[in-house]
Amino acid sequence: MKRNFVLHRALAIAKKEVMHIMRDPFTLGLAVVVPLIMVLFFGFAIDFDFRGIKVAVYDQDNSRLSRELVRSFSASEYFKTFAGASAGAPAKEIEEGKATISMVINSGFEREIFSSRNSQAQIIVDGTDNQKTGVVAAYLGGIQRAFSSKLSGSPASDPIKITARFIYNPELNTKWFIVPGLIVIVTGLLSILLTALTVAREWENGSMEMLLSTPVTPFEIVLGKILPYVGLGLTGIVFVYIVARLAFSVPFRGSYLALGAACFLFITTSLAQGLLISVITRQQQKAMQASMVVGLLPPLLLSGFIFPIESMPLFFRYLTMVLPPRWFTAIIRTLFLKGTPFEGLVIPFIALALMAVIFIAAASKRFKRDLEP
Amino acid sequence: MKSSLRVILGFLKKEFAQTLRDPVMRLFLFGAPLLQLTIFGYAITTEFKNLKLAVLLQPDDSVMRELSGHFYNSGWFTRAEAEQGDPEKALYSGAADAVLIAPPGGLTKALGRGNAGLQLLIDASNATKARIVEAYASSIVQKYAASRFPAREPGPGLSFNVRILYNPSLETSYFMVPGVMTMIIALITVMLTGMSMAREKEMGTFETIISAPLKNSEIVLGKTIPFVVLGMADALLVIAAGLLIFKVPIVGNLFVIFAASFIFVCTAVSAGLLISTFARTQQQAMMGTFLFIFPANLMSGIMFPIENMPLLLRAVAYINPIKYYASLLRNNMLKGSYPVVVLPDLAVLTLMLLVIVFITIRRFRRTLN
Repeated sequence: MKRNFVLHRALAIAKKEVMHIMRDPFTLGLAVVVPLIMVLFFGFAIDFDFRGIKVAVYDQDNSRLSRELVRSFSASEYFKTFAGASAGAPAKEIEEGKATISMVINSGFEREIFSSRNSQAQIIVDGTDNQKTGVVAAYLGGIQRAFSSKLSGSPASDPIKITARFIYNPELNTKWFIVPGLIVIVTGLLSILLTALTVAREWENGSMEMLLSTPVTPFEIVLGKILPYVGLGLTGIVFVYIVARLAFSVPFRGSYLALGAACFLFITTSLAQGLLISVITRQQQKAMQASMVVGLLPPLLLSGFIFPIESMPLFFRYLTMVLPPRWFTAIIRTLFLKGTPFEGLVIPFIALALMAVIFIAAASKRFKRDLEP
Repeated sequence: MKSSLRVILGFLKKEFAQTLRDPVMRLFLFGAPLLQLTIFGYAITTEFKNLKLAVLLQPDDSVMRELSGHFYNSGWFTRAEAEQGDPEKALYSGAADAVLIAPPGGLTKALGRGNAGLQLLIDASNATKARIVEAYASSIVQKYAASRFPAREPGPGLSFNVRILYNPSLETSYFMVPGVMTMIIALITVMLTGMSMAREKEMGTFETIISAPLKNSEIVLGKTIPFVVLGMADALLVIAAGLLIFKVPIVGNLFVIFAASFIFVCTAVSAGLLISTFARTQQQAMMGTFLFIFPANLMSGIMFPIENMPLLLRAVAYINPIKYYASLLRNNMLKGSYPVVVLPDLAVLTLMLLVIVFITIRRFRRTLN
């Protein structure tokens, strides 16, 4: 028996789903309110500008210059200095977690500088947190350069000077980069959960079997199930967008049309992914496990949200390409901060569209297998 | 007492059979954590490499050419192209992360006249990356200038003799693996317990258990011990994988790590059970699990520094059991088991366990009666 795709059947399913959603505060909350709260909350929480890094100081020279050096640490908002208490074992403060850095200035520090030699200060850094250590190293470089040029009189004595200009985010506000990424993580995971759970429930309570015994085709069911949630997801994005603009004053420099298209594609892909999970697992418990495995850690860690994709080994750089959030992150960051026109984003758009098609086709196919044994 | 033991063994057998007979569940429980740990451990680095740099220079500018060679040979930068007239275009299109621009007339001539200034345009749409690019570039230029103009190098100067403890080569897997392990163990344990209870409630089998002649304590223990065992099995599996695959060192005491894992798994199981007492359906349990596990993972200090958070949010981070387990694992593996470091974390984690168990039992009693 060959059955053709009939739009009004898909729409009928969609209509039923809409009524279902309207009656169910759970789904509405999950799709609209939760993303709003999460983006707001984590937008405020996440900050990579380390301030007040604790420095234990062992100033054995106690001269004008050594005190000056300590002052250049304490004057910076990045460091907070205190006198180290365990002479002879400067690493102890770090072992006990009381300091991130221990600095030892040997006696003779000032004398060495005045005799026009290069003087050293010993720095011990806690290496348990790589991210922090990396930032600390950059801060230390800044202090060292500033102090050296203060010693030699004028900073202009550098033969080659490099001036950096930061385009798109001149003040290097980390929120501008974190918040768009957060939008991706939160909407992606919630979209997967939305369809995975609602449809798995219908498998569990048998209403899906009933639907399958009607003349509706799997493709119609899949479309009918996804469409209402796309609407819901887009509504959620509108709220999240407002939060990003108003609460975190992230600029938006791209076109709304491109943003809308990208959101539509990404939400559809994630929803289809959830649907596929539910069609395969058919049990809420398993659907939940699978959704969390797929939707939580990989997007957080592999989509370029924080950890740079370009630094990954080649194989893993290719592997990230199967993650829809990776592409959406690239699009949304570009649209918010750079405003590159659509032509510059063709590859991510094609990738997202391709994945949407693949997931929808796979979900329909899995349905079909049970339908026509 | 003897019959209690038999009851609990019965529960154990039933939960194991139910969870483990299903190949999909086995995959989620043991396959997924191993696979994820391996992928994340290998893939993630916190270091920025392969940054796309375009250099704009005149063909006859030999100094600039030499300097750009230092950039590309540093291992941080790869070649990209930019247009002479519109350097920002390369950033705009994403063809380059940064564009280094020689002074007008060329660096060679500018140096002949005296000091020279280079301009570096950096795409700051990723602020962290932009800052790193600037730091890399200044250090390369400084080093180059010092080697090329030793006579002009100013006399007195300061240098830092930096020693990095515990992870001197800044191996990212040493830092990531304990964190990822924490997140995986937390995720699996809370989810498994919460969803399984909610499922029994929804299917009505929980009613059967309640109506059976069992003591409350037997039911509570019977519904928790199996998941503690499964959670511990997962924890050991993941820890072993971290040691064998990534050679993460264990400087501290293995026993402390086991003790911490046990307390943490118990806490996670109780948290899952607590969530399920609030849920009538699996959907609600799922919502509860998500609302707990997502923030708890993000606020654990594994990926984002806690100390930079606003005070109120920092308070939230401090009531998060995952934070303490992550810190215990990281410290024990990389630093060692110094009592001053380990004991406070262990104490707080134990306290949290007791509080959660207390609340869970009270909530559970209400469900039962």
